[in-house]
Amino acid sequence: MNNMIQIIKNEWRFLIRSHIFLGISIAFFLILLLSVFLGNFQTNKQEQTYQNAKDHVRQQWVSIDEMNPHSAAHYGTYIFKPSNLMSSLDEGVSSITGNVIRVEGHVQNEIVHSEASQMQTVSRFGKLKPSLLLQYIVPLLLVFLAFNSVSNEKLSGRLKLLVLQGSKPIQIMLSKTMSVWLYGVMLLTFVLLVYGILNMHSLTTDILIRTGFFFLSYCLYYFIICGLTVFFSSRWHNPTLALTSMLGVWIIWTMFMPNILMSSAEKWHSLPSRNEFQLAMKEDRSKGLDGHNPRDKRSIALKEKVLKEYGVDSLSQLPINFDGMRMQADEDYGNSVWDKHFGTNREILQKQKQSYQLGGIVNPFISLQNTSMGFMANDNLHHQEFLLQVENYRRDFIKMLNDKQTFGGSKTGDWGWKIDNAFFKSVPDFNYKPTQVFEVISYYMLDVIVLFLWSILVIALIVFGTKKIQIV
Amino acid sequence: MIQIQNVSKSFKGNVAIHNLNLAVHKGEILGLLGANGAGKSTTINMLLGFLDPDSGTVSINDIDTINNSADVRKLIGYIPENVNLYPYLSGLENLDYFCKLAGLKYSKSELENYLITCGLEVKSHSKKVNGYSKGMRQKVGIAIAYAKKAMVYLLDEPASGLDPLASNELSILLKKLASEGATILMASHDIFRVREVCDRIGILKNGILVKELNTKDVSANELEILYLKFMQN
Repeated sequence: MNNMIQIIKNEWRFLIRSHIFLGISIAFFLILLLSVFLGNFQTNKQEQTYQNAKDHVRQQWVSIDEMNPHSAAHYGTYIFKPSNLMSSLDEGVSSITGNVIRVEGHVQNEIVHSEASQMQTVSRFGKLKPSLLLQYIVPLLLVFLAFNSVSNEKLSGRLKLLVLQGSKPIQIMLSKTMSVWLYGVMLLTFVLLVYGILNMHSLTTDILIRTGFFFLSYCLYYFIICGLTVFFSSRWHNPTLALTSMLGVWIIWTMFMPNILMSSAEKWHSLPSRNEFQLAMKEDRSKGLDGHNPRDKRSIALKEKVLKEYGVDSLSQLPINFDGMRMQADEDYGNSVWDKHFGTNREILQKQKQSYQLGGIVNPFISLQNTSMGFMANDNLHHQEFLLQVENYRRDFIKMLNDKQTFGGSKTGDWGWKIDNAFFKSVPDFNYKPTQVFEVISYYMLDVIVLFLWSILVIALIVFGTKKIQIV
Repeated sequence: MIQIQNVSKSFKGNVAIHNLNLAVHKGEILGLLGANGAGKSTTINMLLGFLDPDSGTVSINDIDTINNSADVRKLIGYIPENVNLYPYLSGLENLDYFCKLAGLKYSKSELENYLITCGLEVKSHSKKVNGYSKGMRQKVGIAIAYAKKAMVYLLDEPASGLDPLASNELSILLKKLASEGATILMASHDIFRVREVCDRIGILKNGILVKELNTKDVSANELEILYLKFMQN
């Protein structure tokens, strides 16, 4: 252990005394600092915009003076996807998933207005977020720091001297790995510290746990990168070959494989096209009750049933407004159609995600990306959860309006009947409840385990490399 | 003491050492002369425990280097032709680092004393090694072995590329170490330096020890004639 500490200390002495390294490090720290500041600024701006839009729409709703409840259901409202504090570290899929959804009767609208769709072309390649640097650039920097760490010692003959002084090759290789890894961990810690300081008053236990897992995932990934680079450095006599090998690994892991694996997952578990999906929904919906057509067969059947229940002969004798009831029946049927089709889609998305997660077995970068955006609450899981909560809210919202139409005191066919402002004020606003961290942990445990397994594999490679290392 | 008995070593069918028998006693300096590829470095690497002989035994102070390489290495100081230290550290820091790796903690003054003993001027102690001459680096290399309290010194072409003054300083230092009880094996091309420093000389040719003699029994000129004769035959 003493030897490992000494070697790590010596490696760091080299780094600190290297003007080039210091220059690069200062530049890097500044870029990271800038990325955290920008990320925070963008998140705060989004939050402000979100709050303004939310307040504006709510104000519109509560300002409705008098209106027929079902007309109000058609009038509808808008729900805005809230940004979260952790977006400033990794915004994941949030910039492409849209953030506004119109909530109204009879129809489940799609979420629209993604941030990316409104950006300039160049900006669509991704914003300068810490995750961009931590996932792509920091690993490259670690490769450049580690690629000649063992081969240099071999070529200079110092490896012999180190072993003669009592260091075991495994200690040397692990120390070389750790010293570069610690640099990566330092950059990561710096990012999280700045983030923590900037958001000190808003940090919750949930955010801290999520950030802890975020930190763990990156630490494991950096260890994999450093260990693999040191392994190549010990295997190849030529440092350039070690560098080329690792750059190849980096390109395959970060550029090609994520796309290939995602395309494969999409092919294995394919979603219907938008056109197919809408046609299928329309067809199923047409088999149901049409809330606006009193001559519809199912409407007539419902009418007969209700008349029987109330023991009356005609709609005019009903103490309730049958129009509202018919509208709600239409809504209920539409909901079951939506549940069927969207439920299938959610299952397919879940399978796609699971297949993609398994891709981590061949590419730990995938596991890192998954955990990074997952723990930062900006993955598809959180997005789907948001959509589900919006749909549940929509159902409650429309039901409340239809029930008011039905039981609020109006008679069937009385479309001119209106309710006052107090009712609209009493309709609750949408309140998004973020997915609990423990659910996220269970969902991403596979990725964390894969990263751990990769780390063990890298240690095994280092041990194997130690046995094959040629000291003379 | 160094003991090599009936040792042979081949690399992919090419004989590097053939039935080598050699002994170097405490306080003795043995010079191994030979051309490139004669087997000098292979012999040293077997003594260091980095290469296993195909047959025979290699031991240092009666410890087998094959099965107890870690124990043997504690006794050895090794000075290669080019002592490549860490260029961003000073001579003093290099010595301190290598001592710490060996589990030895010395004060600054103790480290300085080791460097002074090995002939490195005080003004150079704190200078970065990237400004050192080959001779200066070699002195630090010997200081590392000396501070480690090595009982056996293995030197591979130590005088190669040294200026006459540095080479002479090295000779004096090696004699001093031997007088303190160190066992020294020095592989070299330099007939005159070997003749001057060593007590005994072995001539290696194609992995075979073709001649072993006492330095006292031969003059420098005679040694040169003898060496050339063996090399030409």
